Amino acid sequence: MEKIKVSKGFTPRLAGMPDYSLIALPYPDTIGVSAMDIPYIRPKLLVRENDRVKTGSPLFRDKRDKSIQYVSPGTGTVTKILFGERRRLQEVVIKLDKADEFIQFDPVQESGPESSLKSGTKYTIDNIPGEDLVSRLKQGGLWQCLRQFPAKDTADSSHTPAMIIVSLNGNDIFSPHPGLLLEKERPAFEFGLEMLKRFSKRIIVTARETSLKRLETIKTHISHLVPDTYPAWDPGVVLYHLKKNKEENSSWCIGADHLVMMAKFLLTGKFPIEKIVTVTKSGDQKPHLLVRQGIPVKTLAGTLPGDSLITTGRFNGRIANGDSHLGFFENTLNIINTHTDEELFGFIRPGIDKPTVSHTFLSSLFKSPVQVDGTLHGEIRACINCSYCENICPNDLMPNFIMKALHSDEIEDALEYGLLDCCKCGLCSYACPAKIELTQILSNGMDSHYKDKA
Amino acid sequence: MKPLQKLFDRYEPYFTGSGKYKRLEPLFDATKTFFFLPSPKIRIVPFIRDHLDLKRYMSFVLIALLPVLVFGTYNTGFQSGLAAGVNNGILDSLLIGAGYVLPIILVSYGVGFFWEILFAVIRKHKISEGFLVTGMLFPLTLPPTIPLWQVALGISFGVVIGKEVFGGTGRNILNPALTARAFLFFSYPVSMSGNIWVATKTTVDGISSATALAITGMEGESITNALTRSGFSLSDLFLGFVPGSIGETSALCCLLGALFLMITRIGNFRIILGGIAGLFITAILFYFIPGGKESWANAGPLYHLSAGGFLFGISFMATDPVSAPGTNPGRWAFGFLIGFLTVTIRVVNPAFVEGTMLAILFMNVFAPLLDHGVIKYKTSKRIPNV
Repeated sequence: MEKIKVSKGFTPRLAGMPDYSLIALPYPDTIGVSAMDIPYIRPKLLVRENDRVKTGSPLFRDKRDKSIQYVSPGTGTVTKILFGERRRLQEVVIKLDKADEFIQFDPVQESGPESSLKSGTKYTIDNIPGEDLVSRLKQGGLWQCLRQFPAKDTADSSHTPAMIIVSLNGNDIFSPHPGLLLEKERPAFEFGLEMLKRFSKRIIVTARETSLKRLETIKTHISHLVPDTYPAWDPGVVLYHLKKNKEENSSWCIGADHLVMMAKFLLTGKFPIEKIVTVTKSGDQKPHLLVRQGIPVKTLAGTLPGDSLITTGRFNGRIANGDSHLGFFENTLNIINTHTDEELFGFIRPGIDKPTVSHTFLSSLFKSPVQVDGTLHGEIRACINCSYCENICPNDLMPNFIMKALHSDEIEDALEYGLLDCCKCGLCSYACPAKIELTQILSNGMDSHYKDKA
Repeated sequence: MKPLQKLFDRYEPYFTGSGKYKRLEPLFDATKTFFFLPSPKIRIVPFIRDHLDLKRYMSFVLIALLPVLVFGTYNTGFQSGLAAGVNNGILDSLLIGAGYVLPIILVSYGVGFFWEILFAVIRKHKISEGFLVTGMLFPLTLPPTIPLWQVALGISFGVVIGKEVFGGTGRNILNPALTARAFLFFSYPVSMSGNIWVATKTTVDGISSATALAITGMEGESITNALTRSGFSLSDLFLGFVPGSIGETSALCCLLGALFLMITRIGNFRIILGGIAGLFITAILFYFIPGGKESWANAGPLYHLSAGGFLFGISFMATDPVSAPGTNPGRWAFGFLIGFLTVTIRVVNPAFVEGTMLAILFMNVFAPLLDHGVIKYKTSKRIPNV
């Protein structure tokens, strides 16, 4: 087990860490398949309202690569198809039947589709021929679990990546604990790793240092440990610190929970319908939840005061509307309070309860967990070159200079400064005292470059 | 708090939207946000943000300037008393000093804010906090006898030519406060350079007295002896009980401010330490060059550090993040070269007894070049990703 040294980042001292226990929620009446968390997709709908769907039947596919499809995680009737601005597909909502009817694929497992995976049994991938594996994963709606750098788009199956990074920890600081994710899934996880070896010679498995003590059973598979500073466990950061040459820029990555899903799908021939999620709220310690895919956000978050913000990752998620559903790639909800009174002389208060990465508030002297809120704490100003963004960027970028290069349309300069190494962790915007939306600017620059190239 | 909030709420319609005074919205906004820090809801990633904002950032420089300001005011009164032949007490000195210093500061802020508001109204943007610092730094670099119309002229030049023509705070290449001072320095050398006038009540013009840096030893006399003979002992220079510009005399107070800026990381320690290192090394080098015993070449690093405005400049002017380099190696080089140039100008160039201002302005111009070099080097070390 090697240690990756990540010297910069944000050391989490946030209140609201989820409890290490697991509660299964009853299945909801309706579920939704969101298109909002799928990168770069140009969806082509395959169903209409009032159509009947089975668990595993395709709902829409990506026009850019028609073989990649997104499937229904439940059996029932399509009740609503929601579109956003410019008729961008948002969600397909399905009213569930009492029982699931699966679209059945050939299982690897010998003992029949009904029995569960036995721990201690070693399953082998050798039964599935090479070509078959990719097409089966694509038909099953699970190929998209694999993502390809630098843009973290859906992996290109014709490409052989230099390495595949398996990340045990999710996007947020309080994403589900890998100990809970993998506790009962060891055979599937190991099978998944076997499967990845089909695609690349080098498989990297990373975990946060603090997660390690609950990972005894799968410890041997972890190749790299990362420090507990956000976002050291992000595959983009891991890749940046491991890569030695240009070819590795187009490596792949996958989350441990998605790897387990892929493996379970291959083993049982059925689309996995459950996942573990966390719901976090400042000052509240909630358990991990075992829920159905596509569960309504409302069911998880409950009713909230009007000025709460629900996100799927406080640094790099999206805003989840109360009426929307949890996406396939999302496994955490953060409930953030956005209500603040405008404080008298707020700019010069000692600020004992105001978290900061700077040294300008008394809170920087204390180490206890702090409450955060979803407001800007100031107003947007011009960049003053203070280097707070550079000092926090885990991938040694200079977001201020990249921002200026992008503003003056010097895309070549921006690329040379390492724009594509950006992992979109959100820390530059977090730290900026001039409140410049650096993450958005860099991310837009990266996306437009990527779309141009594609 | 509530009545104040209500007051702002009541007058807000006049200044926003289609209100009667909507052109003055920046002024209203600046006043309101001074009292109530705005904190709008976030709709863009990341959904939590740090508490530090530019208002606080700039206010911290003002806090760091407090010792300098208070001591400068006191010293103005104290020197005035000395010149008049009386030994004023602390309170008297402060009051007399305030009589000279306060009008200068008020004119600086008043005229400067006029330009800030004018540009904000024309350009339809908010008033930037950067001027809070400029408006205080500029008066502190002036001698207490400066005519107020010159203060107004100087700050106008500094704000308009030094900053606004480039696009405002964040886009200026030179430090606006130093630009303002340089303008006065070259336009009105009588009130600015060489012999600094000590403010007194007894005569209209005050009496002249050479600053420490203008002193040279007589034939065969070492510079340190000459300084002591003229009343500039090292301890007086360090503590600041000497005539000079309002804010620059006390090395101790400048160091206190520098320490505060470094601890809070508002001022970059690389610039300050690099500058002091540059000054020390250069001063030592000149010290070992034979000859020139009676000139400042032979004064040694401690005198160079304590006399003149070096510590004030390196702590408060050079650390202005906008006109300094934006890369860490660049900051070291920037600071070091300011120290080097300051001593070099003091020693080698007979036209200028003080070199700090020119050194900082000169290095301001070169800051982008330093950045360019550092960025080129850094990007050459990256594994290309295009």
